[in-house]
Amino acid sequence: MKISYNWLSKYVEHELSPEDLAHALTMSGLEVEDILHLGPPLDGVFVGRVVSVRPHPNADRLKLCDVDLGTDELIPVVCGAPNVAADQRVPVATIGAHLAIGEKVLKIKKSKIRGQVSMGMICAEDELGLSDDHSGIMVLSENAVIGEPLSDYLKREGQEVSDTALDIAITPNRADATSHIGVARDVSALQNAPLLRPEVSIPPDGGETTQHIKVEIQCPDLCRRYVAMIVTDVKVGPSPTWLKLRLEAIGLRSINNVVDATNFVMYECGQPLHAFDYDRIAKQRIVVRESVEEEEFTTLDGKNHTLPEGVVLICDGERPVAIGGVMGGENSEVDETTSNVLIEGAWFCPSRTRRSARALGIATDASYRFERGVDTAIQPWATTRVAALIAELGNGSVTPGIVDVHPRTPTVNRLDLRLTRVPKILGIQIPRKDILQILASLGFDPHEAGNTISCTVPTYRPDIHLEIDLIEEIARIYGFDQILKPKSSPLPASVPVARPIDLIRERVHAYLNGHGFREIYTNSLLPDEQALQFSQAVTAADYPPVRTLNAVSRSMATLRPSLLPGMLNVMQHNAHHGQRTLRFYEFGHVFHLSEHEAAFVENYSEYEVLLFGISGPVRPQSWDGSIPLADFFDIKGDVEKLLSLLNLNSLRMEPSVEPTTITAHHITLYANKKWVGTIARLSDEMQAAHDLPDPVFFATFNWTRLALICEEQPPTVYTPVSRYPVVERDIAMVVDSQQPVGPMLNKVRRAGQTLLKNVDIFDIYEGEGIAPGKKSVAFSLRFGANRTLRDKEIDHVVQKIVTTLSAQFEAELRA
Amino acid sequence: METNLEYLKTVAATFTEEIAVAKLDTPAKSEEFRIRFLGQRRGVIPKLFKTIPHLPKQDRRSAGLLLNALRKEAQTVLEHAIEQYRVKSTDTCDIDLTLPGRRSQWAGSRHPITLALAKITDIFEHMGFAIAEGPEIEDDWHNFTALNFPADHPARDMQDTLFIEEPGEGRAGAMMRTHTSPVQIRTMMAGDPPFRLIAPGRVFRNEAITYKSYCLFHQVEGLVVDEGVTMADLKHTLTGFARAFFGEEVKMRFRPSFFPFTEPSGEVDIWWDLPDHPDGGRWMEILGSGMVHPNVLDAVGIDSERYTGYAFGMGIERPAMLRYGIDDIRIFYENDVRFLAQF
Repeated sequence: MKISYNWLSKYVEHELSPEDLAHALTMSGLEVEDILHLGPPLDGVFVGRVVSVRPHPNADRLKLCDVDLGTDELIPVVCGAPNVAADQRVPVATIGAHLAIGEKVLKIKKSKIRGQVSMGMICAEDELGLSDDHSGIMVLSENAVIGEPLSDYLKREGQEVSDTALDIAITPNRADATSHIGVARDVSALQNAPLLRPEVSIPPDGGETTQHIKVEIQCPDLCRRYVAMIVTDVKVGPSPTWLKLRLEAIGLRSINNVVDATNFVMYECGQPLHAFDYDRIAKQRIVVRESVEEEEFTTLDGKNHTLPEGVVLICDGERPVAIGGVMGGENSEVDETTSNVLIEGAWFCPSRTRRSARALGIATDASYRFERGVDTAIQPWATTRVAALIAELGNGSVTPGIVDVHPRTPTVNRLDLRLTRVPKILGIQIPRKDILQILASLGFDPHEAGNTISCTVPTYRPDIHLEIDLIEEIARIYGFDQILKPKSSPLPASVPVARPIDLIRERVHAYLNGHGFREIYTNSLLPDEQALQFSQAVTAADYPPVRTLNAVSRSMATLRPSLLPGMLNVMQHNAHHGQRTLRFYEFGHVFHLSEHEAAFVENYSEYEVLLFGISGPVRPQSWDGSIPLADFFDIKGDVEKLLSLLNLNSLRMEPSVEPTTITAHHITLYANKKWVGTIARLSDEMQAAHDLPDPVFFATFNWTRLALICEEQPPTVYTPVSRYPVVERDIAMVVDSQQPVGPMLNKVRRAGQTLLKNVDIFDIYEGEGIAPGKKSVAFSLRFGANRTLRDKEIDHVVQKIVTTLSAQFEAELRA
Repeated sequence: METNLEYLKTVAATFTEEIAVAKLDTPAKSEEFRIRFLGQRRGVIPKLFKTIPHLPKQDRRSAGLLLNALRKEAQTVLEHAIEQYRVKSTDTCDIDLTLPGRRSQWAGSRHPITLALAKITDIFEHMGFAIAEGPEIEDDWHNFTALNFPADHPARDMQDTLFIEEPGEGRAGAMMRTHTSPVQIRTMMAGDPPFRLIAPGRVFRNEAITYKSYCLFHQVEGLVVDEGVTMADLKHTLTGFARAFFGEEVKMRFRPSFFPFTEPSGEVDIWWDLPDHPDGGRWMEILGSGMVHPNVLDAVGIDSERYTGYAFGMGIERPAMLRYGIDDIRIFYENDVRFLAQF
């Protein structure tokens, strides 16, 4: 909302420059977002004296003037004004000055007008932007000093030359600050200067007006007060310059004197006012009621609306004439033909006004104020003020009396402030007299009673309910800058310990970064089809995804059940931009509907997932050989290393070569029979759908569950390191070529018992020397113990391993 | 053992000859040589030394000199041999040291939002704050009611908040949290004061995606509740944070504002230099804060007369954009490698 500096200064005396005022307001809760300098640019316009006037030799209507600007020489000026005469003091725009005339900017240059040199321009008021007057040049008084800047003269004469608009971001609680008087009240509190509210003499309730208009309120909770006055014989026409300047300064367009008057008073005191053409109000009646379903109404901007139920309607004796608190109707609008005006000053319910305005898609200056809550007592003042102004501007007369219907009398709220509570909240001692002054300036009428100050909440502060609200008022006016650093800052009562999950997550970040993975952040919202497609693919469960009700677009309709679609989009984007190597990871929440597992909000399951994926060459290009594409064992290796880093060595891995719509083959990981993760190759179909050149492999984990398992592990206890040498043996076993190696490894480990410290596969071979349909699997065995091992012992264990493999897998020791 | 000096001389002569002709051209041969002649347990020379006490007294000195010479001879040959191939193996290398190094992997990276978050949480952890988290799906009570949002508050309208469907019903039940403040409520409900924590997380707004707005962003929330906590403590904490995050010289201001769940409320702005700006820069809002509203403490069953507290919240994207000079918020979620590689 814009506030005019000049206008504001009418209501409070202060010596602040616009910049200082903006700072003071910002630091007391009315944030000034922008300072706009307005008004005519009068640089280069000086007071001159016309020394002589001669006719122009080549033009009847032009005159040649010599002008004294207080310099050594007189300057010649060609002037076309009928009223120019010798000895006048006049404003002269000199060479280099810029004048704003209407929309155009005129730059004053040395010129020849019909053959005669002109070195400047004697100006009319409109050419200086001071008024619309173009009847002749502006003639200044004898007080004008020859050669002084025109702006100095005008200021001395008490004329406003320029203005500054302060654009204030008003927080939702500050209904009281949506007007010049409201902002001035803060300034008066800050400056400890009185608030200068215009005097208005409100007529006593009743009088002649009641014979011309009857008001009935059918919904007293939605319209607590309705004040009406009538101004007759109004001549509707353009507003005077002073009024236009006021409205233009705050960014409003002048419409006519009646509408401008209602806007002026609204911006003066915060009460929205509406003017009806009295002669278009049927049966001299105003009825305030709620709309019923599907009523039609045309607002004064010419738009037709089908109203929802419950909109507050202002009706005359026959039909609706306005939407209460939002906008008037076309059928009762004031125009040039209007001569009698009915003025409405009312109070409408904030939440209902907001609901109606939103439903109709209309936001007006009036709805903006009603939504926040206007003063519940100001209506007679504001209505009287605007009636007088309309009468003055339109040469009309105010019908004596006032109609003031207020089925709900405003309640007076009292609040006590304990002085001891102020430092408990703010951490500083504020002198009692300062507290009293601030509360008094803001209209709280404070009275001392021992250590308590009892206050009355003014009707323009619907936001003040509690003692803490008063403390905030004191703090913002006293100044947050006055709140100093505490004398001491004690240690927190308990020293916080980093959560295990954060420590574990940090290790995973470090691992993945060290292995070339880049972290990504993807959208939590997916198109519905995509969410459905991925909902069961990687969680080994089948839960419906969670849909939004009011998403702004179809591409963000459903919450992600998996991080995979997000990563595939990122891979696709980067592949399109020439990136062959794709290694990404993400931590993020996923969601599904669930009747169980509702850790937080019933019916919804939400947990954190870790996803990492690879596609393309496994290593950077090098000069000593070609680089293979990543395959399943690259991602599986990363998973194994990661799990070993986290000491999670006992997860059950269940392989499956059955394709799904999303995966070609995959391994499911379980801990205590619960799904914790999946390692997979993406299906060809999905790879093609994302236009990716190389196979994609990914691993996804229920990070919430996995981290919990890590947390629950017993703390590490050191096992002494053996000082004795290790013994290595290799064996190669020939088995059926279809035989999976994993189970063989498990058997080797079991048979090797405690002496077998490590087993690796160092070769898998089919071909020459091996019978068809068979393969040779070579194991590298490493034995150790906390003593020197004898050859015999080791021979015995190796023999046991060979025997076990032979028995279980029909394996034969390779010759 | 039967021996005499003459026998020793004969044996030594034989060994001397053997030592002289030994070809120690590999480490294995040298080791074999060392064990044969000098090995502590089986070496021939140490064995001969052991015979000295059995010699007649007058011969012992000569025998000692003889064997010392022999040992010296063996050691010299061995050292010489070791020296030989040590020099040989390093001398002959022919290597192009200008070739690029072999990289087993690319450098990975963390997302700039993670980095900014880590920097913020790190500062608060140094100030004694613990970390808490909460769900991204929230209910009305935690997201609004307990935080003192009135029933008809505009934030509850469909326009700003992303509501989600209730199973089976198709009506509005829960919502995507609009701020991290519900974590305050969950934490206070779960324990007793004192509290001193921050809660980082993702929050949602029902907005179209443009260069300056995204349907989600990240926040860090802070909460301190204890006896004797005042606004001076809040200001002290926030000043400390701004200096740690933006530098000791940061120009900041703390001005009154409004939030339903804090009172008094204040916002922190920092001055951001912009060379092209007519004023040379402008104030940028970085966080909202205030004293915890007594209604909030009452809602979670904490005695608001005995305990006071403060809370604050800040976006991550905005300071990150300022810091890195990013002018389009969407780039955070596009995850172009050429962008990610810069962090």
